[in-house]
Amino acid sequence: MTAVQNAGPLIRLAALSKHYGTHLVLDQIDLEVVKGEVLAIIGPSGSGKSTLLRCINYLEVPDGGLITVGPTTIDATRAASRSELSGLRRRVGMVFQSFNLFPHMTVLRNVSLAQERVLGRTRRDADERSMQLLKRVGLADKAGQYPVRCSGGQQQRIAIARSLALDPEVMLFDEPTSALDPELGLEVLAVMRELAESGMTMIVVTHEMGFAENVSDTVMIMADGKIVEKGPSAQVMRNPQQERTKRFLRAVHDR
Amino acid sequence: MIPTYDELVSWLPELLSGLSISLQVTALSLALGIPCGLVLALGVLAKGKGTRILALFLVEVGRGAPALVLLQFIYFGLPGTGLTLGSFSAAVIALAWNTGAYTSEIIRASLQSIAHGQREAAVSIGLNRFDELRYVLLPQGLRVALPALLGFSILIFQGTSLCFTIALPELVSRAYEIGSTTFRYFPALLAAGVLYACISIPASLLVSHVEKRAGSHAQR
Ligand SMILES: Nc1ncnc2c1ncn2[C@@H]1O[C@H](COP(=O)(O)OP(=O)(O)OP(=O)(O)O)[C@@H](O)[C@H]1O
Ligand SMILES: [Mg+2]
Repeated sequence: MTAVQNAGPLIRLAALSKHYGTHLVLDQIDLEVVKGEVLAIIGPSGSGKSTLLRCINYLEVPDGGLITVGPTTIDATRAASRSELSGLRRRVGMVFQSFNLFPHMTVLRNVSLAQERVLGRTRRDADERSMQLLKRVGLADKAGQYPVRCSGGQQQRIAIARSLALDPEVMLFDEPTSALDPELGLEVLAVMRELAESGMTMIVVTHEMGFAENVSDTVMIMADGKIVEKGPSAQVMRNPQQERTKRFLRAVHDR
Repeated sequence: MIPTYDELVSWLPELLSGLSISLQVTALSLALGIPCGLVLALGVLAKGKGTRILALFLVEVGRGAPALVLLQFIYFGLPGTGLTLGSFSAAVIALAWNTGAYTSEIIRASLQSIAHGQREAAVSIGLNRFDELRYVLLPQGLRVALPALLGFSILIFQGTSLCFTIALPELVSRAYEIGSTTFRYFPALLAAGVLYACISIPASLLVSHVEKRAGSHAQR
């Protein structure tokens, strides 16, 4: 990569908007994330956090705005071409609240499938890489099992390995620990922390205030489809400037 | 009322060869019909309007028209258009159409029962539409559909008895023939009925076994 590309943001959203019917869910969102940055998005339910994340890899089609990831820019007002979308999705990994592993495939196949079909790797190369990734998330011994035989925390770590298998430039997480018991959430958070330390660019929608404060570099608060406040995590979490942010953080602490 | 032992022995070769034709028609109808059902299901779910309408038309006719009507239409009706088919081909085509139409609904419902998250996961790891179907949706959907597809196969087997109306020498036709030469209609049909049951009952048991296994898979 050239120095110029490194200097600019890896991800840039410009005036991104999205309606469901007449309901405005994302209101002219502008956002930049630099390479290696870990951004936590917090905010009340229904504020548009998931929608924002899902627009970044086009699981949800925005109504307007520009989405730039690395060298690709997609203009949401035009219909995106297939090659633009596949380029985008190769660069962007996504981890869901409900894991969404493929239940009819072994753990190893779950991680290898896209490497073979999307990256064109041979099965041997794909499996070898998958084993490395499973080792990285601490689950090499589960390779031959089916996902149902794994705990929720293990399934989510496998889902992370599955996304990493495409060597994405950015990983999106939508409440990756919300469906898990606290202890199982911890093992997922540990993997995410390791990932963050390894320099992965991450955008994480979360209710884990500890992650937002201690792991992420930047925190962004959303409410009613808008960015209320964004800044270095320590500052936003400990010394928020906006009244809306203070109210939200108080409500979280009182819970 | 009940066929004697001697009668049975003398009828059995006739009846068994009829049964064999019934089974051949069943197998071919399913072998052609179920892939058609898959294609029709995908057609009904397709984004393109033209594809969807054509698929819906074929499905609705195949389901709306009784198998007997399809059979008569293809055997007696098509020659009017210059296309004459033997009774065996006509039977296979009619029943395959019927199978395609019904199984498309079974397969469509099964595909739609696959959790939305599976699609999203497939899309987000970059699989194209075809790979998403082939590796993610179909293997799960067909597993869900399997018991219903097997159950429908038994109905088609029994439905082959309608083919006696187009003079296909299948099991019921043979029983009728025996009846008309011996005037022992009832015993001959009874023997045919027992032969149908010999296939259908074990098949039904198999279906409920598969159903139970599929159920316990879903719970895993
Ligand atoms: N497919 C949809 N159709 C219609 N409305 C939707 C759809 N998806 C989301 N919404 C609405 O858009 C708004 C934002 O939803 P979104 O899921 O982005 O919120 P969120 O911030 O992720 O909330 P939560 O913390 O509960 O996950 C909500 O009011 C929601 O009801
Ligand atoms: Mg959400």
